[in-house]
Parts: sequence; C-alpha cells; structure tokens
Amino acid sequence: MNSVQSLIQPHVLAQIGFAGVVALILAGALIAVFPRSILYNVLGLIVCLTGVAGIFVYLGSPFIALMELLIYVGAICISIIFAIMLSRPLHLSLPKRRLPKVGLALGVGTAVFIMLSAIISRTEWQPAAMRSSDWSVTTLGTYLLTRYDLVFEVISLVLLVAILGAIIISGYARRSTS
Amino acid sequence: MTSSWFQDPTLLAAMLGALLPFVSFAVIMVFTRPYPKLSATISVAAVSVSLICALSLLSRHWHLEQPIQYTAKWLVSGKLYLPFGFMLDQLSLLMLTIVAVISFLVQVYSLGYMAGDPGFARYYAFQSLFAWAMMTMTIAPNMLQFYVFWELVGLASYLLIGFYFEKFSASEAGKKAFVMTRFGDIAFFLGLLLVLLHFGNLNIVDLNSVDVTARMSPALITLSAILIFGGVAGKSAQFPLLTWLPDAMEGPTPVSALLHSATMVAAGVYMFARIFPFFSKSATAMTLFLAIGTITMLLASTMALVTRDIKQVWAYSTISQLGFMVMGLAAGSYFAGIFHLTTHAGFKALLFLCSGVFIHEYETNDFFEIGKYGGRGLKVPIVCMTLAAAALSGLPPLSGFFSKEAIMGGLAGLHNPIWLWAGLLGAFLTAYYSFRLIFAILFPKKIEEVHHEEHGGHGHGHGEDHHHAGIYWVMAWPLIILATVTLVLGFFHTPLENFLVGHHGGAEGHGGGHHAWLLYVAVGLALSGVGLAWLEFGRKGASQVGFVERIEPVKTLFAERWYIDHFYRLFLDYVIYGIFSNLFTRNDRRVIDGGIDGICRATVGGGRVLSFLQSGMLQYNLMVMFAVLALVALYFFF
Amino acid sequence: MNSLYTYLFLAALLFSLGIFGVFQRRSLIGMLIAIELMLNGASINFMAFNRFLAPDPIVGQIYTLFIMGIAAAEAAIALSIIVAVFRRLRSINIERAQELRG
Repeated sequence: MNSVQSLIQPHVLAQIGFAGVVALILAGALIAVFPRSILYNVLGLIVCLTGVAGIFVYLGSPFIALMELLIYVGAICISIIFAIMLSRPLHLSLPKRRLPKVGLALGVGTAVFIMLSAIISRTEWQPAAMRSSDWSVTTLGTYLLTRYDLVFEVISLVLLVAILGAIIISGYARRSTS
Repeated sequence: MTSSWFQDPTLLAAMLGALLPFVSFAVIMVFTRPYPKLSATISVAAVSVSLICALSLLSRHWHLEQPIQYTAKWLVSGKLYLPFGFMLDQLSLLMLTIVAVISFLVQVYSLGYMAGDPGFARYYAFQSLFAWAMMTMTIAPNMLQFYVFWELVGLASYLLIGFYFEKFSASEAGKKAFVMTRFGDIAFFLGLLLVLLHFGNLNIVDLNSVDVTARMSPALITLSAILIFGGVAGKSAQFPLLTWLPDAMEGPTPVSALLHSATMVAAGVYMFARIFPFFSKSATAMTLFLAIGTITMLLASTMALVTRDIKQVWAYSTISQLGFMVMGLAAGSYFAGIFHLTTHAGFKALLFLCSGVFIHEYETNDFFEIGKYGGRGLKVPIVCMTLAAAALSGLPPLSGFFSKEAIMGGLAGLHNPIWLWAGLLGAFLTAYYSFRLIFAILFPKKIEEVHHEEHGGHGHGHGEDHHHAGIYWVMAWPLIILATVTLVLGFFHTPLENFLVGHHGGAEGHGGGHHAWLLYVAVGLALSGVGLAWLEFGRKGASQVGFVERIEPVKTLFAERWYIDHFYRLFLDYVIYGIFSNLFTRNDRRVIDGGIDGICRATVGGGRVLSFLQSGMLQYNLMVMFAVLALVALYFFF
Repeated sequence: MNSLYTYLFLAALLFSLGIFGVFQRRSLIGMLIAIELMLNGASINFMAFNRFLAPDPIVGQIYTLFIMGIAAAEAAIALSIIVAVFRRLRSINIERAQELRG
C-alpha cells in the first residue's frame, strides 16, 4: 500500500510521465527512421512529435507544446501524407536498402552523437545570474511584436514565399512534363 | 696541365695511342659508316699512330726504373679516391706494344679478308673500339679503370663475335661469350669490392706493395684473390668457364686472331701478371690457380685432338696455351708467363691469320677438306703456318720454344713434380695436334685437281682475279711480318727478361738454363708428338685417323668438350630458367606489372571517388560534411 | 527530469537519429521526415536552455516558434519539390536525382 501511495505522489507521477514521454519520443523517432514503409515513418514521426510536445510541457511551456502539436502534427505531417499519396503508389515494392550505405550512415550518425554528447558533457553550463520567472503567453506575444517583430515579419515573409514557391514549383513541373 | 701535354712526349704518346682509336670509332659510327673505304682508312690510320706511339714509348722507356703515372681525379667519395689516367711500367709497355702490333697487322690483314663485306665499316668501327678499350685497359693505373675497360673489351668481343649477326650460331656464340665471361666478371668485381672495402685503394702500385699484407688478413687476401681470379678465368677461358672460346670462332677469322687468341683472352693473363705480387701473397690461391691452369691446359689439349675444324684446333690450343701461361705465373715465374704471352700472341695470331687465308680461299673450316682441295698450294700461308705450329709445339729455335722452356723451368722449381709432368704431357699433346693439322693439309690423301688459284673464292667472279691477287698480298704481308717475329722473338729472351724483371730477378725466371735435362725432355716430347702426327697423318699411306679417334667413347668425350656445355645447359635449364627466370617472371608479373596496374587502378579509383563528390549524390555529400564536422569537433575537444 | 543534461542528451539522440535517417533513406519523403526529427532535436535544445539557463525564459520559446515556422516553410517547399521530382522521374528515390540541368 505504501508503495502505491508513494507511486501516486505528484513528483513520482511526473517522473513516470517524463519517462513515458521520452520513451514515446525514442520509439517514434526509431519508427520514423527505420521501417522501409513510408507510411510507418510518418506515423512514427507523429508519435515522436507528440512526445516532443510532452517534453515542452515538462520544460514549462504548454503554449509551445500546443503549437508543436498544431504545426507539426497537424500541418506538416498531414502535408507529408498528402505528398506520399501524390507521389508514389504504396503497393509498389519498396526500395531496397544498401547495407554499406546504412553502415556508413550509422557510423556518421554515431560520430555526430558522440561529438554532441562530448560537447554537452564537457561544457560547464552556467545559468544566467539574473533570471526572470515570467513565462506567460502575454509576455511572449509582447516580445514577438516588439523586440522580435522584424524576425516575426521575416518569418511571415518566408512562409509566404515558401507557399508561393511550392505552388509554382509543383505547377511548373506539371506544365513541363505534360 | 694542358700545356704539359705537349711538352711531355711520353704523355702525348700515351694519350694519342690510347685515344685515337676511340676517335676513329666515334667518327666511323657517327659519320663515315656508309663509306667502307674511308672508314677502314681512318681506322687503320688511327691504329698506325697507336702503333708508332707504342713503339716509341717502348724504345724511349727501355731502361725504365720507376713506373710513370699520370692521373687525374675522377671520383672522390669520403676517403675513397679514384683517379683515372695512365700508368706506364715495363709490363704495360710490353703489352701495349703487343696489342698495337697485332691490332695493326690484323687491321691491315682485314682489308683483304673483309673486302666486300656489307658490314665493312661497322667491322672497322668495332676494331677501333676494341683497340681503344684494350690499350686503355693495358695502361690503367688502378683496378677500377682496368675493370671498366675490361668490360668494354668484353663488349667489343661480343660485338665482333656476333658480327655476322644474321647467322644464328654467331649471335648465340656472342651471347654465350658475353654471359660466360660475365660470370667471371661478377666474381672479379666482388673481389675488387672486397679489396676496396678492406684496403681502401685500388691503385695497382699500392696493391702490389707490401702494404696489403699489413692491412688485410691472409684469409681475406686469399678470398679476394680467388674472386679476382674469376675474372681471369672468364676472360682467358680457364676452367670451368672455357667453353665460350671455341664458339667465339664464329666471328670473322681476323677477329679470332686479334681478340680470341692474341690479345683479349690474354687480358686475363695480363691481369694476373698486373697484380701478380698481390696474388702471390696467398699461397693457397696460387696453388688453386696452378691447378686450374693445368686442368684447363689438359682439357683443351684433349679437345683439340679430335676436332676437324681448323679454327677450333687453334681455339683449343689457345685455351691450353693460356692455361700454360696461368701455370707459369702461378708457379711463381712471373717472367715466364709474360714471355709466353708475348710469343704466343705472335705465333697464335699468325696461325689464325694463316687459317683465315685458307678459309677465305676454300670457304671451308675443315682442314681435311682444305688439304683435299690443295691447301699446300698457297705457299706463304702454309709456310708461315708450319712455322707457327712449330713455335706452338715448342720446337727450337722458334719463339715458342724459349717461352715454353721458361715455363717448364718454373714448373720444375716446384716441389710437387706432378705439375711438371702435366706440363710436359701438354707439350706433347700440343705438338701432336698442331702437326696433325699441318700434315693433314700438307699431305692429304688425294688432291682433287681443282684450280683454286684461278678460281678464287666463290664470292669473287673471274673478272676480279687481278683484284683478288692484290687482296691475297694484303693478307700475306702481315703473315710474313708475324712469321719473322715468331722466328726472332725467342732470341730476345734475355733482353726482355732484363727489361721486365730487372737484372736481379733472374733466379726464378730462366729456369730452363738450369735444367738441361728438362730442355732435352721437352724438345724430345715435342718431337715425338710431331713424329706421332707424322706416323698417323703425314707419311705415305697414313690412315689419317688419330689414335684418339680409334677409341670411340674417348673421342666422343673430347668432341663433346668433356660435356661441360651439357652441364651448363642443364644448369641453365634447371637453375636459371627453372628457378630464377620463373622468379623474375613472377616478380615482373606480380610486383612490377601489378604495381603499375595498382597505380592505374588507384588512379582510376581515386578519380571515381573524386567524381563521386560531384556526382550529385546528395546523401553522400552530406555524410562527408557531417563526418568531417564530427571529426573536427572531436579533434578540437580532445 | 530536472537536469539539463537529460534534455540535451535527448535532443542529441534525436538529432543523430535524424542524421542517420537523412543519410540512410533513399526516398525523399523519408529524408524529409528525418529532417523534421533533427529540427525537433534543435527545438528541444532551445527549450531546455530556455528552461534552465536563459535570463529571459521567453526568448527560447520565441526561437522554437521560429523554428516551427521555418520547418513549415521548408516542408512546403520540400514537398512541392518532391512532387515535381516525382513527376519528372517517376520516382522519389534520391539516388536517381543526379542530374544538374538548368
């Protein structure tokens, strides 16, 4: 009974939740990378991104977590699925893997991971001396429209150009092939 | 330095004598090859000047006390100092004269013998090359220069043996001579290296001084002496490298006279004499040389008993006489060896040149055939040849008699009498086979009445008879000169001895005088050899079958040259072709070809890898980017 | 859970998996998915620094937002390129897309 009591204590629950989220991310990432079927990859990506949204909650920013779900899962993943449906009949045989390539990729990936972990563990991470505790969405909005408004505008422009570009590229390709 | 060339007549003469033939060689090869007459004139002129220089040097320095040396720096490496230049002492002056005289006579003779040959100019170029190499070698002051020109002489020999290169046997013989002498030369060079390493000097004068024993251990001296003797064995066709010389007779006959009897093959003996004091410091080596000389002499004599080829007989006799010289030198009688070399050069050149006349006339090498066609009709050659054969047999009062007696005297001075008996046996055999040939030509079984005098060689038409007679006399004059030399040279025994070894060195030199019985025995044996030949070949109704030829296996053994060639053939097949060629071929295929292929493949592969970077394979490009990034970061962090 | 390192290692892992995916996949869409993974790794990093180190906890969030915007634009462009490539080559295999032609 005592152990169950202790299990449902808030911080233990939080721990368990955190472990679950991490497991979700890793499982999703593995599914996103390894299976040869592209649909599984997208589903894995969705799982992974959901986990990342969970991580954002743990990092104290539910708003960003929501945006993550909205933009990534809701928009990007769906558009990827659309692209899959547009590009390639799923019943065709899947492209084979070439083992040397996989090996090389694994090697480079491992090397990068080792490099990153080395950098992470070797660096002395110093928290800033003065830290404000203002996490509110209001402040976020204020910042976006005051201090970072140029970046905000540029991002909007980039998005606009991207959408226009996407339309033109796909439309142009259609014209050139037909 | 430059001005002194012209002020010092000795140096001038030496330089002129040694270098003019080279100039002639170069001029003929480069400019005048299409003009045979002009080429021959240049070459003969050059060798004439050499002859005059050599004779003047000899007369000028007849009472030479110290060797004259002219050297210039050639190579300096650390403590090693290698000069080149000239060294004139009694021995080299004598040899220089011999070479110049024989070269001159042979070149004059060749004007007739080689007339009309398509390679006339080439022939004279090679003759000049030989004259240059041989003379420069003769007066070399150190062993390295000696070795260099020694090899050049070998090259000239190769070129002249293979002169009729369109004939398969000739080119094969050239190759054989070259390769076999090379075996000896390898040993020679190793010996020189050994001396250089331990003695640090290759100057002949230093090598002959007593210094050597102080700086090198006796075993080392013996080893290097034996190695250097390898060169002698190769060049002078001593056992076991003797079989190339009979084959070398494939060359034109004047070449055989010049290179393969009188001068070049004598170079080995000359080298022996050149550093004789060095050799004589090792008693073991000297005994070995004595044995080798004896074996060579006997083997070659027996081979000469059965051959029917006139040039082969003289070739074998050359080998056996060279063996004689080596015996003489190895027995310690320095003068006897050199004296025999001198007289031998005269009468052997004479023999070959005479044979050349016969061969030219009847176009056959078989002396029984020559006799049958009426060989004795050619008066000058047959008289000269008989004279020379008598000299070869050691009959008094010809030159060969004196030199042979000197060697016998040297052999008699040894403790072991076996060498003397072997020498006497050799003298007997020599007399027998020489006169076997002479009688076969003089008294053939029946003479076919063909008028060869008018007919001439088949190569000449009837219309050229007058011209032909001129050629005959061009060839006859050198014979007469050489015959005169053969007749009188023997009487210069004492002056030559005084010249060569000085008045004090006489004790070992003329042993012949001290052993009166030996003189009679030797002459008696020679005469009995002649008599046996007369019984079998000369007298009326003679069977013309030698005593050796009656015993079939012995005859085969001798005719097959004691199977030495067969042994070499086997050796060549199994060791050289079977093992080394195989190895080298494999090395060629695997290592060299493979290496080149590997480089090619690496280049192609490298190109492919590099082109891969530009192939638009996005993923690989990215991969490389990230790998490099990771490695660089790791490098900076650790 | 309350350690910076956990998040950083998680992000590094995600990023490396993304790299591995980008290199190993042969289809363009697979690569795009892997790139999304890498971007998320970066986002996690920003958020973690924001949470543990940054003086102003708003800035990291803004960066993450920007990353999402960029990712959206990138996805739009990439997908349209994929569609165009597919129309041209009848394949979305990256190894066939080797031609450079203006």
